[in-house]
Amino acid sequence: MMSRRLLLKLAMLACCTLTLSGCWDNRDINHRSLPVVMGISREDSKYKVFLDIPQTSDDGTRSMLVTRTGQTITEVVDEISSNMETRVDLLHLKVIIFERKYAEEGLIDSISSFMRSREISAKAMVAICDEDLGTFFSKLQKNSSSDQTVLYNFFEKNAGWSPSVAVTRTWEIFRSIHSYTRDIAIPLIKSGKSTVIENVGAAIIREGRMVGQITADETLLMNAFDEESAHGKIEVMNHASVLIVSNSMKHHVALKDGDPYMRSQINLKVSVLETRGEPSVDMIKDELETLLTQRFNKMFKNIQRHEADILGVGQYFRTRIPRNKLAHWRTEYLPRLKIDLDVKTTIQNEGNLKTVRDASIK
Amino acid sequence: MMDKSLQVVLVHILIHIGLIFFIFPTNIIDTTTAAHWIPILLGFLFHWILISLYTKGLSLFESQNLLDIYIQFSKPVAVIFLLPLFIYTFMVTSVTIRAYAETISLVFLSDTPLWAIMLLTLLISGYITSLGVQALFRTGMLMALIFFPLIAFVLCMSFQNVDWHYIFPLWNRHFSFLTNPDYLESSFAFFGGFMYLGFIQPKVLFKRKKIIWGSLLLLPFFLMAVYIPLLTFGEETASQYHFPFIVAVDTIDITWLMFDRITMFFLLCTVTFVMLFTALTAWINVEILRRCIPKSIRTSYIVIGLSLLTFIMGINIPDWRDVELLFGLNAWMRLYVYLTIPSSIFILGWISRRKEAAAA
Amino acid sequence: MRLADRICNRFEHDGDFIIEEHILAGRPVRIMGFKSLINLPKTWANLQSRVREASLDFSRDPDSALIVLNRLGHRISEPDEAALLAVMTAGDLIIFYEDPDTYLDVVPIPVTLTRSIEQPLNENVLQGSASAFNDDLATNFGLLKKELNSASLCTKVYLSGNHSPRKLALLYLEDQVEPNLLHEVTERLEANKNRDLYNLQRICKALGFQPWKAVPKFYTTELPMEAAHALRQGRIVLFMDRFPFAMILPALVGDIFMMENDRNYPILFMYLIRGLRIAGIMINLIMPGLYVALVSVNPEVLRIELALSIAESRSGVPYPAFVETLLLLVVLELIIVASVRLPKSIGPTLTVVGGIILGQAVVEAKLVSSLLIIILAATTIANSAVVGFQNSLPIRLFKYLTLILASLFGVLGILSGLVIICAYLASATTYGIPYLYFIKPKDDSHDG
Repeated sequence: MMSRRLLLKLAMLACCTLTLSGCWDNRDINHRSLPVVMGISREDSKYKVFLDIPQTSDDGTRSMLVTRTGQTITEVVDEISSNMETRVDLLHLKVIIFERKYAEEGLIDSISSFMRSREISAKAMVAICDEDLGTFFSKLQKNSSSDQTVLYNFFEKNAGWSPSVAVTRTWEIFRSIHSYTRDIAIPLIKSGKSTVIENVGAAIIREGRMVGQITADETLLMNAFDEESAHGKIEVMNHASVLIVSNSMKHHVALKDGDPYMRSQINLKVSVLETRGEPSVDMIKDELETLLTQRFNKMFKNIQRHEADILGVGQYFRTRIPRNKLAHWRTEYLPRLKIDLDVKTTIQNEGNLKTVRDASIK
Repeated sequence: MMDKSLQVVLVHILIHIGLIFFIFPTNIIDTTTAAHWIPILLGFLFHWILISLYTKGLSLFESQNLLDIYIQFSKPVAVIFLLPLFIYTFMVTSVTIRAYAETISLVFLSDTPLWAIMLLTLLISGYITSLGVQALFRTGMLMALIFFPLIAFVLCMSFQNVDWHYIFPLWNRHFSFLTNPDYLESSFAFFGGFMYLGFIQPKVLFKRKKIIWGSLLLLPFFLMAVYIPLLTFGEETASQYHFPFIVAVDTIDITWLMFDRITMFFLLCTVTFVMLFTALTAWINVEILRRCIPKSIRTSYIVIGLSLLTFIMGINIPDWRDVELLFGLNAWMRLYVYLTIPSSIFILGWISRRKEAAAA
Repeated sequence: MRLADRICNRFEHDGDFIIEEHILAGRPVRIMGFKSLINLPKTWANLQSRVREASLDFSRDPDSALIVLNRLGHRISEPDEAALLAVMTAGDLIIFYEDPDTYLDVVPIPVTLTRSIEQPLNENVLQGSASAFNDDLATNFGLLKKELNSASLCTKVYLSGNHSPRKLALLYLEDQVEPNLLHEVTERLEANKNRDLYNLQRICKALGFQPWKAVPKFYTTELPMEAAHALRQGRIVLFMDRFPFAMILPALVGDIFMMENDRNYPILFMYLIRGLRIAGIMINLIMPGLYVALVSVNPEVLRIELALSIAESRSGVPYPAFVETLLLLVVLELIIVASVRLPKSIGPTLTVVGGIILGQAVVEAKLVSSLLIIILAATTIANSAVVGFQNSLPIRLFKYLTLILASLFGVLGILSGLVIICAYLASATTYGIPYLYFIKPKDDSHDG
């Protein structure tokens, strides 16, 4: 009987699949702990790992803070995992926070092991904490126990991100470690007084080590330089504050007698938000341009001093400098780089109120 | 009989996509430090010339099978050319299945044992093989319709983190990649999978011109597989990865999609294409075997036996280093097979044409 | 005993059988038949009027009476019990007279045992002719002929079966049909003439199809428009008496999402509708599997917000996602199966009860997660998007394949399930015509 044999085969197949599915353990999502934030600090050559784990229960989700010290990060995670009723999966790790002290010692090992690991996404964002991680996490815990994605949303482009916050992902740091011509800035944060998180600025990272820091205002310029959108930022001056509506960059590079030279132009379109006194449009424009140029030059000096190319200027010289020399870009070329920044602003509109156009009328 | 060129072109593209995006990028990135387009274009040119030569040779015989052609000349000729082909295709299926199972378990299914993944891929490719070549090509067509939009979407998205400055320097005076063993290994993608063209006629008819022009469509995929990781990470970083393309796709961040790691969809699509590839190569072996053994043995038994052997061989490779070793070994076999068969077919075709002309 | 008496005896206790003695054309005759099949008064009146029209004086000329009587029906040449029974069960009237003993097979005015032409029951038509095929073979011919109105329409009628013979008709367009297909079908039907064909499985067997294939071998439709379109494509239409639909041979993949009726919409909307149907098929195949894959094997694919909310909604569910999904799927299948058979007055009760159970109680009792309800609702709705009920059956089945594979291999399992389905569909052929074949009507000048 053809049909009976077929039925037998089907039954056998069904049995096989049922037994097979028991062979390896696929854990359901509610039996996994999915930490969203991981904090890492170093104490006496040991890692101290903080995990912020959302705990789901019948009456909503609350987050839980787990801390442990150990020789390696994986060892710590494993230990935490074995002590919890669910398994810790780092699959959904969104934000990794290093303590400043550890970042100054060097992050190469941690970043490489994150990249090597299958579990941790290469997209996980990295930040450096400007205070003791313990206090940071306990404050975070207190202020946001019901919302697990606070830190993640802080960096997320379509959520709470603002242009004066640097966003850096694991793979970008890994790239900067190996790249000849590109360094990276990692956002520097600490727990805020009224808000949960306070943006301090960004850390300058050179070959995986934190060497210096820039302010939040400078971070905005850096983002603008990278042609990230710097929209929505209010720039406070003596007479007015403006809203940047759009920004674009133009670069021109050259090698003059072996010295790199770069001319950059930032085009900003702004709209006036607030005025103090009665400044004219031209005045606002002039003030904005000088302010930004000064700020940029100060930041660039800082960068050159640390020999860390967080703006990725070296990228523009890839066509000019041969590859074997490019490897020494940071030490040989960057400190000699001359950069002329030209800020061009257009006041797109003045809001709903008329503003005096020309200084001469006043 | 109808012209099935569209099906053949689609399957040709699918199986190559399956081969291109895994090991090929790391091979090419390892061969040279700059101007990667030179080895890619050179390899692709080679691929294209070989296909043209091969199909030209085949077209000289009126839609005949490779087996028929060789046997028509003499048995030893058939053995000289087909035995290496058989060994090569057998090896390539088992190593491919093993390598892909390894990759899958590395990247997505860490809990699932290796043998289970291999079993799944083998079962599916064995099933497709047993359905026969016409059904195989129709399957390919349907798969292209279903999976191609996904592939196209992810490929478009993968330009998200590209920094075009990494494309420089564009020129490299040293052609040292030619002697690099990695380059030979990259031939896995360049001419790993067009031998089937000689076997499918007369069951699946195709027009030579369409195949040749259709295979040109592969060039963007070859370039993208290497250049997307290069432009995302830069050469210095990309050379650190085992699977640069996978990591490059992993960096894509699409905020409006409900899924987080779209790499998975892309790579698993290519894995299904690899299943098609192994089914096709296994089918070649079945065709060869069917000529060698008594007719009374049913085709399905050959398929089962062959899949079992492939499975045993694949499971017995101890680790990734051995997989790479076998890939290297395989490359030499491939060089032999893919140089001799197309040229021999071309020459034999030419000879038989001359004979016919003389007879007339 | 005479034949007529023997038949009388045989039906002595049969209330349906009638045998009456009458005078027709001046001669005593007996008429026999089944009451349920023959409208006797009307038939009798008809017979009498036909005799009267001859306007002969039968008392003077007995021979002319014979001539007139014989013209009423055709003579049964070798009357025996079986022959007479066959004639009567087929619904005809028998007139018997003596000198010489003659049995006449007369076509009576039948009792109407068929619905009138109605709207289709299993598929609704928007913008198109609403008359559907009927139980009666002749009506169906008529409907199709009216729809097609072509001289090249050929009809072959077979009577198959020994015990309960049934009329079977095969229609095709002479100038469009694939000769090979026609040859195969007629050959098989001729060869299986003795088989009683009273259900579709038996027809499949007679036509030589493998019985265990999940892909339908013919596409059944109630709409003359669809059947006419199939004929124009060169396909064959089979009608069986008492089956209110046309069976179109061979079924092709296009039947799942393409209807001729779609062409009554503007082209843009036609493509949108067809696209939606394809999307429905994909959703149906993928969704349940995707849920299981994402919840238990590859949670990293979900966005974190989604992952957390799913984890929350699943907390307290005591079994793995696979069992959870399977459980609810079975309940849904039960609802579909039950609601097909239920009388219209009880149907709503089932819907309400099912809605309450699935919509609220199950979730509140923490038996399944609320997301799963949404997914399965989407799946069930999507399942109905395809054309034709018989086409939705294989899709309903295939989703379990992807579900099982997904529970083992996650997303890889779903995609390999799709590959297996692709291969399965690709391997299906009907008389050498692959299932995945798109025919364009040969006279088709318009696009699409």
